[in-house]
Amino acid sequence: MIQFKALLKKELKEAFRDKRALMVAMMMAIMAPIMIFAMSKMMIKEMVSTPAVYVKITGSEYAPKLIKALADDNIKLFSDVPTDDAMLWDERNIQLTIPETFAQDMMDGKRIDVYLNADFSEKSMSAPLRRIKAAINQYAQTIGYKRLLVRGIDVNLLRPVNLIEQDTSSPSSNFLMISMMLGLYLLMAAFMSGLSVAIDTSAGERERNVLEMLLCQPVSTLKIVLAKLSCASTIAFIGVLLTISLTFASIGFVDLTKIGASFSLDLSAVVIIVAMLLPICFLASALQLFFSFQAKSFKEAQSSVTMVVMIPAMLPFIMTFIDDKPKWFDWVPVTGQSLIMEDIFKGLAVDWTNLALTTLITIILTAVLVVTLAKKLTSEKVVQSLS
Amino acid sequence: MIEVNNLHKTFKSKKNTVVALDGLSFTAKDGEITGILGPNGAGKTTCLRTLYGLLEADEGSAIIDGISVTEQPLAARAKLGIFPDKFGLYERLTAYEQIDYFASIHGLQGAAKKSAIEQVIKDLDMEALAHRKTAGFSQGQRMKVTLAQALVHQPQNFVLDEPTRGLDVMSTRVLREYLSRFKEKGHCILFSSHVMQEVAALCDRVIIVSNGKLAAQGTPQELCDLAGKTQLEDAFVKLIGSDEGVAA
Repeated sequence: MIQFKALLKKELKEAFRDKRALMVAMMMAIMAPIMIFAMSKMMIKEMVSTPAVYVKITGSEYAPKLIKALADDNIKLFSDVPTDDAMLWDERNIQLTIPETFAQDMMDGKRIDVYLNADFSEKSMSAPLRRIKAAINQYAQTIGYKRLLVRGIDVNLLRPVNLIEQDTSSPSSNFLMISMMLGLYLLMAAFMSGLSVAIDTSAGERERNVLEMLLCQPVSTLKIVLAKLSCASTIAFIGVLLTISLTFASIGFVDLTKIGASFSLDLSAVVIIVAMLLPICFLASALQLFFSFQAKSFKEAQSSVTMVVMIPAMLPFIMTFIDDKPKWFDWVPVTGQSLIMEDIFKGLAVDWTNLALTTLITIILTAVLVVTLAKKLTSEKVVQSLS
Repeated sequence: MIEVNNLHKTFKSKKNTVVALDGLSFTAKDGEITGILGPNGAGKTTCLRTLYGLLEADEGSAIIDGISVTEQPLAARAKLGIFPDKFGLYERLTAYEQIDYFASIHGLQGAAKKSAIEQVIKDLDMEALAHRKTAGFSQGQRMKVTLAQALVHQPQNFVLDEPTRGLDVMSTRVLREYLSRFKEKGHCILFSSHVMQEVAALCDRVIIVSNGKLAAQGTPQELCDLAGKTQLEDAFVKLIGSDEGVAA
């Protein structure tokens, strides 16, 4: 125990004095809220604003009320277009033709044909066209309802079936986007934060010729590996904690209500997520140490470990593209945790058996890596590669 | 006391097989400084690494104070102080912290640890260095730190692998003086070297290793007599150069 304490104390001292490695570790955490902040800001801007649409309207003078209704929806006459956008809207060439007889036909209660000419296959036009259509339909419907009302007819007769849409993605899909991003980011942070510390303490120590001295000491390699693992995963875990708290702090500055979203993870959910990520931090550090000890030099360790570690860190990303997820995703490390986080963000109940299973498998995998590594460190191959 | 009996070690790779140790036997006694001499590639470092338990001998045994290295590597290592072939320092730790680290690994704690560290720092006259980070230390200062960390637990046996390499005269003298004092206390010291004058001046017994085998052993004077030369260097060349010398 004295030995382990000394080993761990030394590892932590070295890690916390290595400013560069620490900076890399905390970089992930500091980047997270900035990214989420920027993303949600952008999303809000896109969702809330209805940019002006300019339409070439012929016969606008015949239907001033319709024009006003359109203008309320930020759909304007082409003659009002600012010079900067004139080219664009001229090219888009959306034309609306209102017949001369509009006012008379309206009085007579005849059907009025209004023509909308545009390239409907053009993707960039779909949003403006949809808005124009909706605005005109709305206008027509309002008049229609009024006509029925003055005749004493219930407008509901026109709607025998009423479709009510209920969004199950609670509380809102936009909110989900943000929290999903946070989930992916947390897993990334678990994998990336301890990376440089893990490489420094293994391949780095070998390169600085201090590993041989340590291996000659009356201390079991298992203790050495465990001390290094504890140190690297502590840094990784600090990275995770920092990411989560900084995100909470910064999300307060974004007015999510504008897009009907809120970010209200309750404390118990946060505790579950953090507790769930702890074994992942250990697994990540174990993986990093394992591959870094195999590398012949510090440089090789850096490239190989980064590559190896990217795979599990990318898993949740890849997962988002797979619609029909196989069952084993539930309990494989990383994907398992990612799915549970997804459930938590969606406000669904946590599947405790899955959580226990995936945690158990993560711990077993970590233990296997640690024991194998400890064994490898006693082998002659490692010693021979020392010099 | 360090006993090495009939050590065999072969390194095999796909392309070639290298016989590093070929039946090496010798004994390094307590209260003596024993030097291992040998040309490059003679098997000195392999032999010492087998002693630390880093390498496993194909045949034969290494015994430290009656404890077999292969059977109880940790217990055997606890009896050893090691000054390795290539020594590095933890550059983000101070000299004191590094010595403290190795003292704790050897199971020292509390007041005993503190006094042991202070003693070794005083012995090596490194009070001024103790609380500086080791990054940027000179070769001599690095040697002192390495020596201190190897000896802080006062091991009965002390093994040094080419300790004077890269040291200036002053540092070499410090090392030599310290080893002599350590010997006086009845410890067993084993060190490998290339430098003849040093071996001649310091060692009570010399073991000459060549091609993984013992070529000759004895006091420096005995070796000179054996080879019929007046200088140890000439004796060394003669002893490893011809098979006649494999007598002792």
